Amino acid sequence: MAAVEVDDLVKVFGSIRALEGLSFRVEDGEIYGLIGPNGAGKTTALRIIATLLLPTSGRVEVFGLNVVEKADEVRKIISYLPEEAGAYKNLSGIEYLRFMASFNAESKDEAEAMVRDAVKISGLGERLHDRIKTYSKGMKRRLLVARALMTKPKLAILDEPTSGLDVVHSFYVRSIIKNYVKEFGVTVLLSSHNMLEVEYLCDKVALIHKGKIVAEGRPEELKTEYKAENLEEVFIKVTSYA
Amino acid sequence: MLRDLKAIVSKEVKELVRDPRILLGMIIVPVIMFPIMGAVMHSVFIQVQESIKEVKVGVADFDHGNWSRVLIENLTNLGANIIEISATDEIQAIQQMQASNLTDLIVIPEGFSQNITQGKKARLKTYSIYTGSGMVESARSEAINSLIEAVKRGWSPDPFTVSENSIVKGKPLPVPPSTLFNLAMSQQIVTPIAIAIIIVMAMQLAATSVASEKEEKTLETLLSLPINRFTILMGKLFGSIIVALIGAIAYLIGFIYYMGSIFTLVPTEIGVDLVELGLAPSPVGYVLMGISLFVSLLSALALAVVISAFTEDVRSAQAIVGYIYPVIFIPMFLLMYLDVFSLSLPLQILILAIPYSHPILAAKAAVTGNHLIAIGGIIYVSIFTVAILYIAAKFFATEKILTARIKLKKLRKPKEKVT
Ligand SMILES: Nc1ncnc2c1ncn2[C@@H]1O[C@H](COP(=O)(O)OP(=O)(O)O)[C@@H](O)[C@H]1O
Ligand SMILES: [Mg+2]
Repeated sequence: MAAVEVDDLVKVFGSIRALEGLSFRVEDGEIYGLIGPNGAGKTTALRIIATLLLPTSGRVEVFGLNVVEKADEVRKIISYLPEEAGAYKNLSGIEYLRFMASFNAESKDEAEAMVRDAVKISGLGERLHDRIKTYSKGMKRRLLVARALMTKPKLAILDEPTSGLDVVHSFYVRSIIKNYVKEFGVTVLLSSHNMLEVEYLCDKVALIHKGKIVAEGRPEELKTEYKAENLEEVFIKVTSYA
Repeated sequence: MLRDLKAIVSKEVKELVRDPRILLGMIIVPVIMFPIMGAVMHSVFIQVQESIKEVKVGVADFDHGNWSRVLIENLTNLGANIIEISATDEIQAIQQMQASNLTDLIVIPEGFSQNITQGKKARLKTYSIYTGSGMVESARSEAINSLIEAVKRGWSPDPFTVSENSIVKGKPLPVPPSTLFNLAMSQQIVTPIAIAIIIVMAMQLAATSVASEKEEKTLETLLSLPINRFTILMGKLFGSIIVALIGAIAYLIGFIYYMGSIFTLVPTEIGVDLVELGLAPSPVGYVLMGISLFVSLLSALALAVVISAFTEDVRSAQAIVGYIYPVIFIPMFLLMYLDVFSLSLPLQILILAIPYSHPILAAKAAVTGNHLIAIGGIIYVSIFTVAILYIAAKFFATEKILTARIKLKKLRKPKEKVT
């Protein structure tokens, strides 16, 4: 069974056509990257998969569950990190993790186990006891990524998890994702407009442009197919053909 | 340096004037509110003037002496319409005065003339009926006082003292009507202001909390969790209510202290029960007032949550919620000075339709003992609240909660930002 199956997805906001027949498939255990420039429709697609927006038309399934009809069940097996997300400024990191864990955990022990994992993943140590408003952007993102992964979701949906971070923090976040996924077999669907980082991180990528997939495959395959040095070049070539 | 100053000042003025909150608070509200208040006060003063054009007062003369004759003549010459009341004692005089629909009575006790002739201090007593109907009543008793004062000035220095008394619900009370009036006024002014502040504070809180969840995308995170969305809505509401109530308790402590210091104006040794006389809220009145305030608070919060859920950031949410404030403050000012049921029917309906008028009406009803007004208000506001909550819940269940994005700048200049 595919982790995510998106079939001919269309989303229209008033006069804006954000998605124009998007189709792709994410296999169980994969790290899958949606890449494209700003406004391509990445966030819209991820929000539909995360049950936050309704498709105008098309079909989306997460582990065989339709995101419209089985939204409640989908929410139980996913974890979603919104683009540029923040956290409650006046809570401490640890309070935030406990708060979030309480919704996914069945028992207090399970919640505590989740928080322990998140503490480890975030690598924030003692700073977790400080209020979130004292955190740098990079620390906040580490906290939020840890939050998204601590529940060991079957599917983690991460919208631009490294955007706006410095080299050190992006590297840290990327390694969290890579290591954790291997360890727990979580499937990850992420988006990025940084095509180079995706090349390093993802098993498979889809290039999205104006609400449509213009190319899909393993980074190596794509580079060979388009005779390109890297994914950025692939994207330029594909979109100028399109 | 002057050029820099000019640049900064001009930027500051532009920035502030274009801020919708400032625009609303400093320009639109006063421009609308003060004329309305002016019109109300004008009509009150007209009534006051009408009522004191002719001072009609009963006089019970138990002295039948020269000086009591002179006193009555002097009052008549000053323009008072004197109705003589013949009674055997003071109690009967008070009964007769009420029976003949007079509102004020001057009692000239036996020995009045004798005391004055002998150079001793004489005494005069006045009784005024106090119903708590407001400024007109108080102006009337003041008019009689000033007439007596005028007579006194024409005589030898300080020939007599006047002891002022009130008649409340047919019972004489050794307290000047002006004291009772001040007592009632302070209740009528402080309570509505405290209520309005609590409501405004709670709305501001709820709007800020919802809008900051939107701005920070924490709402988006919450919505992707396996939580019932109605639970999220209720969590927001009750969170804001708890914080607002903590604030309200602080106000209440201050308020009780304030009321305590006002009530000491009425001497306790005379042993009057203010509650029974309808001058202080009864326990039932307090409870109904509390319930009324709670349901209004709930409706205000639900409204603030819905409105701010449509906005994109905290600033816009606060500004848009601010547009509701005049709806809260205008009835508050009106109800301070006026009896809602004395207004014209359309105005009455308008004020009663606004849910935030009801806790203020309930506060008044708590004093007058007219509990039906408070109960009716509670029922109306509850229905209103349920309707708002229903809309809020419907709204929270759709994707509109994420895609609606009112931004005040965009209202003026629509421009889509691509992210
Ligand atoms: N709530 C919304 N209302 C109207 N238009 C929207 C909304 N959300 C996104 N869009 C539009 O849809 C298009 C795709 O946006 P988005 O999915 O955010 O792109 P990306 O995440 O790839 O940058 C853009 O043109 C954007 O302006
Ligand atoms: Mg995006």
